[in-house]
Amino acid sequence: MAQKIQFRRCLILALLLCLGFVGLGYRLVDLQVLRHEELAAKARWNHKLTSFREPRRGDILDAQGNPLATSVFVKTICADPSLVGGWQRKIAQTLAPLLQVPETELEQRLQPRLRREASGTVITNRYVVLKRKVSVETWQQIQQAMAELDFGFDIKQLPRAQRTFYYLLRRKAVFADSVGDQLRIYPNKSLAAHVLGYVGTEERDLGYTKLLDTVGRDGIELALNSKLRGVPGWRVTETDSRRREVVALRGQDVTPRDGLNVVLTLDSMLQHHLETALAEAMQKHEPISITGIVVRPRSGEILAMATLPNFDPNCPGAVSADARRNRIITDIMEPGSTFKIVVVSGALNDGVVRLQDQFDCENGRFAFAGRILHDHHPYGVIPVERIIAKSSNIGSAKIGIKLGEARLHEYIRAFGFGEKTGLPLLGEVSGYVPPVKNWYKVSIAQIPMGHGLTATRLQMVMAMAAIANGGVLMRPMLVNRLEDRQGNLVAQYAPQAVRRVVSEAAAREMIKALRAVTLPDGTAAQAALEYYDVAGKTGTAQKAGRGGYMPGKYFSSFIGFFPADNPELCISIVLDEPQHGYYGGQVAAPVFRQFAELAANHLNIRPDKTEEPTPSAQMAAHRP
Amino acid sequence: MARNRRHQAASVRFGPAVAAFLICLLLGGSGVGYVWQKNQIKELGDARKKREQRLAELQRNNEKLRRQLALLRSPAFIDRRVRELNLGLVPPLPSQVLSLPEPVAAPAPDAPPSAAQFADHPPRAG
Repeated sequence: MAQKIQFRRCLILALLLCLGFVGLGYRLVDLQVLRHEELAAKARWNHKLTSFREPRRGDILDAQGNPLATSVFVKTICADPSLVGGWQRKIAQTLAPLLQVPETELEQRLQPRLRREASGTVITNRYVVLKRKVSVETWQQIQQAMAELDFGFDIKQLPRAQRTFYYLLRRKAVFADSVGDQLRIYPNKSLAAHVLGYVGTEERDLGYTKLLDTVGRDGIELALNSKLRGVPGWRVTETDSRRREVVALRGQDVTPRDGLNVVLTLDSMLQHHLETALAEAMQKHEPISITGIVVRPRSGEILAMATLPNFDPNCPGAVSADARRNRIITDIMEPGSTFKIVVVSGALNDGVVRLQDQFDCENGRFAFAGRILHDHHPYGVIPVERIIAKSSNIGSAKIGIKLGEARLHEYIRAFGFGEKTGLPLLGEVSGYVPPVKNWYKVSIAQIPMGHGLTATRLQMVMAMAAIANGGVLMRPMLVNRLEDRQGNLVAQYAPQAVRRVVSEAAAREMIKALRAVTLPDGTAAQAALEYYDVAGKTGTAQKAGRGGYMPGKYFSSFIGFFPADNPELCISIVLDEPQHGYYGGQVAAPVFRQFAELAANHLNIRPDKTEEPTPSAQMAAHRP
Repeated sequence: MARNRRHQAASVRFGPAVAAFLICLLLGGSGVGYVWQKNQIKELGDARKKREQRLAELQRNNEKLRRQLALLRSPAFIDRRVRELNLGLVPPLPSQVLSLPEPVAAPAPDAPPSAAQFADHPPRAG
């Protein structure tokens, strides 16, 4: 009997044990098979850390290697409101001066916000951004300030739980986001702002983390974004129980490849001189806008390019979108008299006219195709050279008529009008050159005067540079080369000739005529330089609006180059609606002269005038 | 008279003792070596981390100095300083710049003609 009882007890025990083993077995299967994915991910998260390694965005440098745009790694300062308790005001007071954020705003952000999850549990938000783009130095100051927070009592006297709370408040409540960020800095502020452009921030989801990506929004920053941004790296590593990296157990470690440096053709000193000259003219003539471009005719390199009003790319949002527009490539205008270079050089190239050929300028009134064409001053019979020097509309119209519609249109297209120049900046427009079949009867007389078609200011300066370059049109060049961080050459861009537009002889003849423009009886006597022969052309184009030309509103321009026989620089100055004076020779030519003197000095261009300058000229050149 | 084992001279059997000692030493040494190696790995890891931090700090400082240099070299800053210090600095007049023509070396009378002399476009002087 006793044996039976013992046997039964053993059996029950064995069954219980079996049951226990079955339970354990089930648990094992549950953990290892059924919940494998979930638990494996949890385990991985506990000891594995995958971090993104951000590449440094490349710099933008000028031709001399001076940085125009550079990047610095910064922090995003965040807070965990669940660890703040009731100390929002205290923390806000401490951080406000360091973060340069109003105290009330910080206090508001530190307030915990409750939300209900799908499962019904109420949770507090544990992540709030206090400020982005904070320098590492400021972050170190914040850490120190938080560690030294004074609550007005001795924390050591408090019970353990409260001591832990204050420890976490000081050490963990305010933290820097693990995802790195960069701040783009433009050390010269608004210098060359329209060329450089600006950057913005874009959030990118990489799966294991969200990344704040710095992307170009305009200018070179946008056009060469793929070269500047670099290639990100990553690191997979193991962590200890406090989520600190165990370096010895580091797994994948892929170094980021920094973005390439973009070396421009711009010269920051010339750019500064140009912007200063334009700013002075802006103050004096109060135009809507003023632009300046400096091109090296031989290569098409753009040495300076400025538009006023401008903006500071460090804070592009501070100005209107209008001020951020690079009017040199985005705005079109009827070029006016500067366009006469196209028709006259075309006619000289075809041998239709010679410089000494005489044209009757009809004493300032010429009836053609039912319209009356006017000159600013009445001229009689004058040679082609004087037509350019005096900017006679009637003379140019007659040269155009002699050249013929088809050839004139061909020359206009050959000079690059009606198509984009190929400048590596986005937003460039091609202007409008009507096809010959759409021309009115009067077009053949109007177009040689620079009316009836539209062009950008860049197209105009490149056309003038083509004449200065012996008749070869060059592609405008803004990027000289790409380099890596160590300065090793990655890509070098060479000047590109687009096409020969006119023969060298025709270009030489044209230059001879353009030199007369800056002589004392030319339209741009104020553009003449003491030490250099200047060739150029003025332009005064009435602005077109809805319903025709707007009285009293002009585009005033001067495009010139020097030394005339061996041109080093071609400079264009355009004022949009100047308020005090409107002739290109009156308002744009002096700006040209002011800048050209400084530019010649900076580039050490050898003078081509042999005669001794007058004392007044010496005084003028000595102006600081 | 034969002597039994009990009365044999106390001959110490070093072989097994040495073997045991060596095994212990090997096992102990391996253990210590393993721990030492692990410790070294950790220390090297820590040292690497410190150096990485130091490198990052130096790079940061370098960048800071580079930015400072860029600011000091910016045309606007230089212009402002020139005005502030009232040094009276002005660009020189072109007439004040003396350009020296680069001397062209004349070839020796008996020297063989160089390739440059036969070039279609001889290099420009000056």
